[in-house]
Amino acid sequence: MELAFTKAENEFRDEVRTWLGANSPKGHRPRSLPEMREFDLAWQRLQFDAGWAGIAWPTEYGGAGLSLIQQLIWFEEYAHTGLQPIDSRFVGLSHAGPTLMARATAEQQTKHLAEILRGDVVWCQGFSEPEAGSDLASLRTTAVVDGDQLVINGQKIWTSFAPIAEWQELLVRTDPDVPKHKGLTWVICDMHSPGIDARPIRTIDGGTEFAEVFYDDVRVPLANVVGGINNGWSVAMSTLSFERGTAFTVSQMQLSSNVERLIEIARSRMSFNGKPAIADESLAKRLAAVRAEVAALRALTYLSISANLHRAEPGPEGSMLKLQMGDLTKQVYQLSLEILGPRSLNRPENEDDSYWVDRHLEAFSLTIGGGTSEIQRNIIAEKVLGLPR
Amino acid sequence: MNLLPSDEQTGIVEASRAFLSGQLPIARTREMFGESSNIDAGAWSEAAELGWFGLGLPERFGGVGCGLADEALLFREIGRSLASGPFLSTVVAARVAAFAGHADLAEAIVSGQPVGFVVAESHGTVSPDGVLNGPLQLVDASGDLAVVVTPTIAALIDVTQLHDVEVVESVDPAVRLHRALAHNVIPGAVVAVSIDPVAQRAMVLAAAMLNGITEASRDIGAEHAKVRVQFGKPIGVNQAIKHPCADMAVKAQLAYAQTIFAAASLDEQRSDSEFHATGALLVSASAAEFSTAAALQILGGMGFTFEHDIHLYVKRTHLLTRLFHGTSHQLGRLIDLPLAE
Repeated sequence: MELAFTKAENEFRDEVRTWLGANSPKGHRPRSLPEMREFDLAWQRLQFDAGWAGIAWPTEYGGAGLSLIQQLIWFEEYAHTGLQPIDSRFVGLSHAGPTLMARATAEQQTKHLAEILRGDVVWCQGFSEPEAGSDLASLRTTAVVDGDQLVINGQKIWTSFAPIAEWQELLVRTDPDVPKHKGLTWVICDMHSPGIDARPIRTIDGGTEFAEVFYDDVRVPLANVVGGINNGWSVAMSTLSFERGTAFTVSQMQLSSNVERLIEIARSRMSFNGKPAIADESLAKRLAAVRAEVAALRALTYLSISANLHRAEPGPEGSMLKLQMGDLTKQVYQLSLEILGPRSLNRPENEDDSYWVDRHLEAFSLTIGGGTSEIQRNIIAEKVLGLPR
Repeated sequence: MNLLPSDEQTGIVEASRAFLSGQLPIARTREMFGESSNIDAGAWSEAAELGWFGLGLPERFGGVGCGLADEALLFREIGRSLASGPFLSTVVAARVAAFAGHADLAEAIVSGQPVGFVVAESHGTVSPDGVLNGPLQLVDASGDLAVVVTPTIAALIDVTQLHDVEVVESVDPAVRLHRALAHNVIPGAVVAVSIDPVAQRAMVLAAAMLNGITEASRDIGAEHAKVRVQFGKPIGVNQAIKHPCADMAVKAQLAYAQTIFAAASLDEQRSDSEFHATGALLVSASAAEFSTAAALQILGGMGFTFEHDIHLYVKRTHLLTRLFHGTSHQLGRLIDLPLAE
């Protein structure tokens, strides 16, 4: 067991740090969707031009083809920029892109992967439906083959960035007469197709990046099917493992540096009784407790990456990391409100204190999106401990 | 960076697990409840021959010269099996004797002279140079020596210099407890944290024992959830049972990860080792408290009996946490400890 990185890895870290320090976007990320899109894609183009895009993508797909350790280092350094861990590039870079690499035809890969890396396009995900949340495989949006096209009808929901996306990874039912997991198809859907209506859903933090998407006789070429008709469940599941334990590194590192920032704020900011917030012993101990938990989360990330270097399939730590990440993030930002005091009531755009309120509101999504914490607990109990379903 | 155990480390785990299940299983711990000593003389001297009391001690002091990470893996197994005897304080004491320059004493302890653990009843009992004044408790002090650990010093004291020594019944039936009073007891050996971070190492080893306890409790709880049938189904199909089982699994992994992270930090002399060691103790104590209680709850009425082992894990968790003056005290320290980037 060793914690030290090699000399070459440390040099890589220096190089990444220098480049990010000089080039990462400064200032607040806009809240309006079109401006947010431009902000995110401009940042992707900058990374692409400098050769940093797709840090862990294989070189055959235009990525940098670096090791899991270098990917960890990149994510750790990225976290120091203070940029959002997840933005409108996320589905393309971390979900649809890896799925295409694993399961798409060469033609599909050529068309889409380079676009994603260059920062030309935004992707969104069409999985959840009003009646198919945790029970995703029960989804009802239908696709019927008509010549060389699929004709799609139905509705998706909780689709982040749908109003500003070019493409969607869309899961549809192509056979209603077989067991629910066996009649699904994963298809690339052009979001500008006639018959698509993306209606923004205003979220808890006032944002409009969420949407419900309606499909009324939407025609998608059969050539856009990935992995074959009725094979969609296996395609959808194949990506969940791609990040191999590093998926939450940016979020986790950022949580760690934010806890340190909160401790600094608690030392300098006066609380209601005229003393620094940290002088409140109960508050100090709650901060200490999350500080230790955040350290343990990082240790588990390192352990998980160490294990994944030596195995093809990632282990169950992925579900554990996601579960703990969500719970801990909620705790940390709840605590931040107490440290901010009355200023936590304010939320003007472009003001530093608003950062914490935004994180607090955003944190509620972390135990719901990408499989709820309850579903993660079922997975861990059944897959790791062997409990009955 | 690689936090997986090496082949040698896996060997330590397998060998210690085999030795403990053969020589010091929980059944043996239970057999000794009523006896005056909780040390199985045969197993104890075999453990000494295996090098357990000097595993992490440099070879120049008669130790095996392994790292703290190796020692932590051993102590995780000791925790898991609830092995009877003062393993933690004896290992810590060997280190104090060695780094204080008492080579003969270090050799005697490494060879199996058992040493107890001093739990001071107040912060002021131990002076900055290790002089004791005031009420204290002694855990497993069957011989003349006991070790005192604070964040800044570690010391060995002669327990015959204490007053009003009385045997008291211990919450944990697997340990022997005394209460005593110190009047200006000057330690026989003292090691400052600048010479060797003994306290931090002790915390990591206690954390590792707590990890073993957490994993054992998780396994007991999960097994019962699979086999206990109520309303015609195993109780583990219910999320009210399933989810605490998952939480035990997550907490066990997090705590173990932090413990080996802290052990590696100390082995590599990183600047924030004290933070990581304290953090390891805190998350491991919290994981063990959660998991022993959750497993007990899953066991239902059986969990409340003396016959079932789960209460022994509950009590050992309590003991290990008290050795370092409790969670609240350690949280108060941790907030001020430096953390490197």
